[in-house]
Amino acid sequence: MSPATARQAMPRSSPDLQRTEAQPAPRQKVLIRNVDFYYGAFKALKNITMPLHDRRVTAFIGPSGCGKSTLLRVLNRIYELYPGQRATGEVMVDNENILSPGLDLNLLRARIGMVFQKPTPFPMSIYDNIAFGVRLYESLPRHELDERVESALRRAALWEEVKDKLHQSGLSLSGGQQQRLCIARAVAVQPEILLLDEPASALDPISTQRIEELIAELRPDYCIAIVTHNMQQAARTSDYTAFMYLGELIEFDETERIFTHPKEKHTEDYITGRFG
Amino acid sequence: MASEHIVRGYEEELRKLNNTVAEMGGLAENQLGAAIEAVMTRDTELAARVVEGDVRVDQLERELDNLAIRLLALRQPVARDLREIFSALKIASDLERIGDYAANVAKRSIALSQTPAVRPVYALPRMAHLAQIQIKDVLDSYVQRDADKAYSVWKRDAELDEMYSSLFRELLTYMMEDPRSIGSCTHLLFMAKNIERIGDHATNIAENLYYLVNGTPLEEARPKGDMSSLEVMTPGRAPQ
Repeated sequence: MSPATARQAMPRSSPDLQRTEAQPAPRQKVLIRNVDFYYGAFKALKNITMPLHDRRVTAFIGPSGCGKSTLLRVLNRIYELYPGQRATGEVMVDNENILSPGLDLNLLRARIGMVFQKPTPFPMSIYDNIAFGVRLYESLPRHELDERVESALRRAALWEEVKDKLHQSGLSLSGGQQQRLCIARAVAVQPEILLLDEPASALDPISTQRIEELIAELRPDYCIAIVTHNMQQAARTSDYTAFMYLGELIEFDETERIFTHPKEKHTEDYITGRFG
Repeated sequence: MASEHIVRGYEEELRKLNNTVAEMGGLAENQLGAAIEAVMTRDTELAARVVEGDVRVDQLERELDNLAIRLLALRQPVARDLREIFSALKIASDLERIGDYAANVAKRSIALSQTPAVRPVYALPRMAHLAQIQIKDVLDSYVQRDADKAYSVWKRDAELDEMYSSLFRELLTYMMEDPRSIGSCTHLLFMAKNIERIGDHATNIAENLYYLVNGTPLEEARPKGDMSSLEVMTPGRAPQ
């Protein structure tokens, strides 16, 4: 059994009650080191250094244009789809620098999955939406593929709602369901890290809470990074919070600390709404 | 029965808050019981254990404060959830004071045990028993979110106040008749006052529970049966 499959077969641990109980120190999964980022001549990220811990949720908050989404896009090098955008510095994932040239980007993006603000189901059946990515990386017999699709949909808390209509188009689902479909699609290829860029911004409050509960359920098995313009969401869902401003990392700490007594006055002014 | 939050962690944190209040309450009730037993049996070791036991009550209050702050910062509670957390904080504060008063009674009993017993001491257990019932009933009303039960606790405080007033007169009379008993009676007076204050805190808890359930405060004037502050007594004349 591959390590990834073995991990999926492990019993699910209880969700985010663990946030309130004492736990052993978590392991660093990612270390972002001295990262700068340029859109052409414009320097959008300035010397970012911070960790992402495994089996934990790290949230990025800050006003519009602070660089949080930019930083997320460095982590799976999706910026390389666009000319004129480049990153310097290192991003160590399990002690391997994923910014080094010559790295297989397709494999990287299987290890590090991404979900975007606007749900982006493929114009194909629900089943094929999930199977598409799996087929890119693995050649599985039909019944194993079926299992993988079901497992991913269960992980995304969507299986019960779609199990009888897997052949229907992914576009026929509601917004909240489409977003869970995108999360299912991301976990189907068995990533280690999940990047969520404003995953609930386009959703109504109930769907948002379902996504937040889903994040809590996924937390024991992945390293999760979430960008959100809604800092209350960061408070509700994350273990660590990074506050960014104008391309710089102002403060990084445990979420409880940030929202009860942050070290930097700048952070406190932002979260208490004393500046835009 | 209300349904649960979509985000289960929130539900579990609120449950933990409730459980901490219940634990504090049970402990405070036991502390009072043990303190009175120490007085009546003149058991100084038991008294010392009660005094030490107050540390745990204080510790639970701190834990509850931390949990409540965390919930307020991270969950943005509104409506009933907000009242739950707000009430839990206030109730914990009252329970902590009840614990302190029980420990004070126990502490005084050590000094009292070293003097000959005086007759008025036999009125103390009845008062303490009523105070214990008040604590138990108000905690039950918290666990069951029963505003009616809380209201009856609230009303019964007058009875505890009357018992205190009566014991106050008895102790003053006794001291005037026999000045050698002044030391013991003074300790008893403070103990009785402590128990009366325990009753007041139980009444506070009842008011908070009422607010939690109904969303509006209990508007009636609190029943006041403690007439001791108006008491005028002079030696040789029967109390007015």
